[in-house]
Amino acid sequence: MGELRDTLKAAVRQMAFRTSLDNLKKQGVQQVNVLGIDRIIALVDEAVHRSLKSRLVGIEREAVATATKDEFLRLLKSNEHLQKQKGELEQLKDRAQDEVDQLRRELGQQQQALRTRLEHGALQQQQRYDGENAAIAQRVAELFTALAGEQPTLLTVQERVLELLLDVVAGERKTADAARAALNDHEVSLLQRRIDKLNDALAVTERRLKDVAALKNVDQGISSLYRQVQGLSDDDTYFRRKQELMAEIFSANYELQKRTGK
Amino acid sequence: MSDKQGGATPKKDHGVLYLGMDLGTSRTSVSASNGVRESVYSVVGYPKDVVSMKLLKREVLFGKEAIDKRLSLKMFKPLEKGVLKHSTEATSPDAKDNLKAAQDLIGEAIRLAKPRKDELIYCVIGAPAEASIKNKAAIVEAARAHVDSVMLCSEPFSVAYGLDWLEDVLVIDIGAGTTDLCRMHGTMPEDQDQVMFHVAGDAVDLELQALMDKHCKGAQFTIQMVKDIKERYAFVGEPAERALVELPVNGKPTQFDITDQLQKACSILVDPIVQGLHKLVATFDPEFQMKLKNRVLLAGGGSLIKGLDTAIEKAMKERLGGGKVIKIEEPIYGGANGALKIAHDMPEEFWEKLK
Repeated sequence: MGELRDTLKAAVRQMAFRTSLDNLKKQGVQQVNVLGIDRIIALVDEAVHRSLKSRLVGIEREAVATATKDEFLRLLKSNEHLQKQKGELEQLKDRAQDEVDQLRRELGQQQQALRTRLEHGALQQQQRYDGENAAIAQRVAELFTALAGEQPTLLTVQERVLELLLDVVAGERKTADAARAALNDHEVSLLQRRIDKLNDALAVTERRLKDVAALKNVDQGISSLYRQVQGLSDDDTYFRRKQELMAEIFSANYELQKRTGK
Repeated sequence: MSDKQGGATPKKDHGVLYLGMDLGTSRTSVSASNGVRESVYSVVGYPKDVVSMKLLKREVLFGKEAIDKRLSLKMFKPLEKGVLKHSTEATSPDAKDNLKAAQDLIGEAIRLAKPRKDELIYCVIGAPAEASIKNKAAIVEAARAHVDSVMLCSEPFSVAYGLDWLEDVLVIDIGAGTTDLCRMHGTMPEDQDQVMFHVAGDAVDLELQALMDKHCKGAQFTIQMVKDIKERYAFVGEPAERALVELPVNGKPTQFDITDQLQKACSILVDPIVQGLHKLVATFDPEFQMKLKNRVLLAGGGSLIKGLDTAIEKAMKERLGGGKVIKIEEPIYGGANGALKIAHDMPEEFWEKLK
């Protein structure tokens, strides 16, 4: 009984709304009548008892009253449980959302670091190319200066230029190989590994977030009136006849489902 | 019972949900022991291609929503003339598609009842009185995917059971595909207690369409529009109001008075019903014929036609010397409510044996 009163009190408090005296005045209310929460609870209790008294007698009334109170408490508890579950799901969702935001920020930073690194590498490469071009031009100029003193035949010039070109190309091939290797240097691959890892983590967290969001919207359904299988009531006017009809319906269905392999 | 959501099946220890379902050609109605009552047009639509799937964001649509978006959907009406389409040729692709549509429709009807996952679901489905064994088996197969235990019962019987009218009653159940007449005399109705014919809601639609084709010169309309008009104005006998409808003629809405056409189309139901009543009354125990004539229940969507009860009474007076027709209060849910009551009254051991 005490538990019911406490629960009723909590329910009334939960359903009540707060307002200020100023607000009431603004709405034109000059005076208010105050009804204490204990009085409200007593009135509800009294109303239930009077209603039961007028409709039921003796043991039946007590049984119905107890069953009603139990059911009321069960419903309130079920509501509290649902509220708690909802709160937990919301917390879970918020945490997952924060995690996703953090991961997104980290991913952005890592991508920026990679871009900077690649841009820096490209600049260094350009500078190196400029230096190499100048060196090639220098070597060609030196060759022609040397040839001018020797008065060579066209065939000799062709051979010496070809020799120079092959030498330059071999050197460039070596440099290109080194540049390609540089792309795979330790830092770049580390960054790429980190990004891959973050991407995976982000995908997992987003999936979890989606699952949580879906869970939150799951309709719990509406409870049936019945906790147990019912069957015909003994005081049904057509008890015997209905019992036979039920048996006939079952029998026809049993045959049907047996014949068709259920 | 399969768990379509995936994952482990929840422990069913919360309670038992009874469902009564009226699986009709036009509508499927469901009544549940959690107080939910819902009805959905028996229409299922699947997106035609990837584009429509992306647009609709759903794999399957039902009822009114499917009808509204039918241009993007492959449409199925899994029931025809009161039974599952193609259920006699079970291996054909059409039959398989249709069975899947029926399964999805039954699943949707059950979802509409908002069952809890931790409750046992026991369902009774009203099947047409003269459905074949194959057809009944197909309905059971479709339902088993969604419930713990299922039983079928004759539709008109469930209507009478729901009202506790178990003896000396004649039930007229006017659906879209069939009209079923059933004589109740305290036991399960047998073949000789039942009459079924295909002059029903769909036949009225076709008749009205033909009459409108002749009367409304140049008007463009579909069978769905005809059905909507019928549901709004249908009547027999004296009209309470003129049936003025707007139909497009060369793209311009034009008003037509189709009162006479509606009356004529709806009246095609009366004659076969009275013939059926005549047959069932005349072959009944003569001592109880008078009582039977005065306890005629009119149910099903067709009973919403204004003045139909009076028109049948009038025809009964001419051919059977009199009779009393009582229209049930909730024609759309009469079958489902009765099936729910049967589910409730069925003993536990019977449900267990069919699990």
